[in-house]
Amino acid sequence: MPMPEEPIFRLPLDPDEEVSSGNGGSFEELRHLILAPEQEDLARLRERVENAEQRTSDLSAVLPEAIHLRRQEGGEEALGEALRPTVEEALRESVRKDPGTLADALFPVMGPAIRRSILQTLRSFFDSFNEAMDHSLSLRGVQWRIEALRTGRSFSEIILLHSLVFRVEQVFLIHKKTGLPLAHAVAPAVAMQDASLVSGMLSAIQDFVRDSFHSAKGEILQKINVGEMEVWVEDGPYAILAAVIRGIPPPDYRLRMAETLEHIHRNFASQMERFQGDTGPFARATEELSRCLEFQYKEKQSSHPRSYALVFAGVVLVLLAGWWSYRAWENHRWGQFVETLRGEPGLVVTDFERQHGRYEIRGLRDPLAADPQTLLSSAGLDQRDAAFHWAPYYAMDDAILEKRASALLRPPSGVNLKVTDGMLRPEGEASTVWAAEVRDRAPLLPGIRGVDLSQLTDTDQAEFNRLQSLVQTAIIRFPLSSATPTPEDLETLRRLTPQIKSLFEKAQLLRKNVEVDIVGHSDSSGEESTNIPLSQSRADRVLYQLTRDGVARVALRSRGVASAEPLRKEENEEARQYNRSVTFRISAVAPLHGSSAGATPATP
Amino acid sequence: MVLPQAQLLQRPSPAMLLKKVCMLGSFAVGKTSLVRRYVGGIFSDTYLTTVGVKIDNKIVQARENEVKVVLWDLAGDDEFQKMRWTYLRGAFGYLLVADGTRAATLAKAEALEQEMRQELGAKPFVLLINKSDRRSEWEMEPAWQEGLVARGWDIFHTSAKTGEGVEKAFSKLTAKMLL
Repeated sequence: MPMPEEPIFRLPLDPDEEVSSGNGGSFEELRHLILAPEQEDLARLRERVENAEQRTSDLSAVLPEAIHLRRQEGGEEALGEALRPTVEEALRESVRKDPGTLADALFPVMGPAIRRSILQTLRSFFDSFNEAMDHSLSLRGVQWRIEALRTGRSFSEIILLHSLVFRVEQVFLIHKKTGLPLAHAVAPAVAMQDASLVSGMLSAIQDFVRDSFHSAKGEILQKINVGEMEVWVEDGPYAILAAVIRGIPPPDYRLRMAETLEHIHRNFASQMERFQGDTGPFARATEELSRCLEFQYKEKQSSHPRSYALVFAGVVLVLLAGWWSYRAWENHRWGQFVETLRGEPGLVVTDFERQHGRYEIRGLRDPLAADPQTLLSSAGLDQRDAAFHWAPYYAMDDAILEKRASALLRPPSGVNLKVTDGMLRPEGEASTVWAAEVRDRAPLLPGIRGVDLSQLTDTDQAEFNRLQSLVQTAIIRFPLSSATPTPEDLETLRRLTPQIKSLFEKAQLLRKNVEVDIVGHSDSSGEESTNIPLSQSRADRVLYQLTRDGVARVALRSRGVASAEPLRKEENEEARQYNRSVTFRISAVAPLHGSSAGATPATP
Repeated sequence: MVLPQAQLLQRPSPAMLLKKVCMLGSFAVGKTSLVRRYVGGIFSDTYLTTVGVKIDNKIVQARENEVKVVLWDLAGDDEFQKMRWTYLRGAFGYLLVADGTRAATLAKAEALEQEMRQELGAKPFVLLINKSDRRSEWEMEPAWQEGLVARGWDIFHTSAKTGEGVEKAFSKLTAKMLL
């Protein structure tokens, strides 16, 4: 449109400027006063509109906000459509000038995308390969091969059909009014019919059913079953979504369909309303449909026979392991038992092996060794599992030697026989006779190298010593000038008599020649000439008394020493009385015959 | 395991202009045999007697466009079978088919056109007068045809046997729909 050179409102004013300068001067002034600010504004605005640079600057200030506003108002499609050629051209130009820039920008995206794509392809390849391998060798696999031959389908397709729980094979977005397909997605390897025919027929069937059964306007056929196929239909204001499903999908799949259809209606409502047969705008909906192409494989069932075999193998393994452990444990126990036998004195295991379910144990056994059968029982082992073959022998173990010595020497109670490195060492108290027996007989025992009696106390010698001291301390007192003991001391003498007899007996056991000197004493009063006979008389009197009471005369000697060997210092009458007495002196410990090695010699 | 198969998706043919077209006419005017040679379909003729419609499609070149005509072959409307008007919903155009040897079918076509106009409003259509191979038996008055042409009708004489006129009729209808 041609623009006037001057603003229109100025036109009537301009001619007046020249002609009416008379009274026009004030008018001009008035006009100037009134309109000057507006005129300036206008001039500024014109400058702004006409100046391309200024316009650009103005636009640049609001451009991002304008685009943002447009997007918010839902016009993004138009915006995208408007920008698309420019952006495409810009990209093309960028690649033409320097492909590196775009490549660099895309680099972080491309790598993962390519990797994912490769991974996906490999995975699906391996999945189908594994599946095929699983099935190709089984009886079922053969059946399926026959089916493949019969139906003319590929074997992999047959496998797919049999191993699927469900698969959504096709999804149609059908324009409700025309029955034409707006978009269509098909799963891989599905025989694809012409979408327009299927869509048309589906809507025709919907109409047919609705008409035939006079159902309400909005109601639609939601599900069609055809053999192993199902067609699920979801209804929307402008379009219906139909999914062709093989098998049985999960119930929540319908929800997914409804959501997809709602989403498509949000994005394409106006296009669907105005639809005139051009499906171009719905290309993007195809992506959404393809997300509805779900599928699910059956859980592997082919492992059933294998799992039985596995269970069986497992049971066998467990049994074997159990048996093996039991045997190992049993062997261990028997091994331990044999070690116990080996540690047992008097037992020598020379051979140990398992034969015909029994443990054969061979070796040497001292008759005095522990009973292997008893050891077997105490180890908790079954006697029937063992067969012993023992050859007798004399063991030289100290423990066996002790037993052997005990069996032969029969130690009296209170004597403990110890054998250390073949040396027999009795401990405790025993009679001289037994000690002599040990001394004589022990060296004859096999394995006994010597006898050590140092730890053995001789009870006969001790008794002898006791009796000797008892006798030697005895004092038989006499009244003044009398050779007859006081009645009290006569009683003492009588009590002493059997002890003297025992003393002689013990001496005989100890092979000692004992003599008892009976010594008569007198006090120092009186003359020695009278005291000597008196003391002799006193000694003789005791001798007589002892002889009369059965003490052997041969071993007794009497002598009188008068006051030569006083018992006490005569300081008072009592001391003098002790000196008027008879005492005993045991002497002459000459052996009868042989030596008494090891035995304590009697000391006078 | 439920997986989308998007990655392995099979791509359907690229978007093409689709037009729903209905084919109407009396019983036994030869509608079905008329198009059998020219259309691609997967459904058997028994659909016509059961559901009352058979759907085929045909690619038609018109005005430098490739149009896929989805043809709804409706069962004839007569005393034996009622035409289901719901099937007409959303049609962009229609083919009227009459049998030149039966005057009643011609009248019926004319009546159908009126009914269609009432039901769908003015829609592009063409009239096919079939059985042109038996023209000697035709009962059509030339004046009747002239009257219709004068009213702007596009009329084609067709033969299911020779295929005469069929392509032309489709091209004309498609061209009219693209206007």
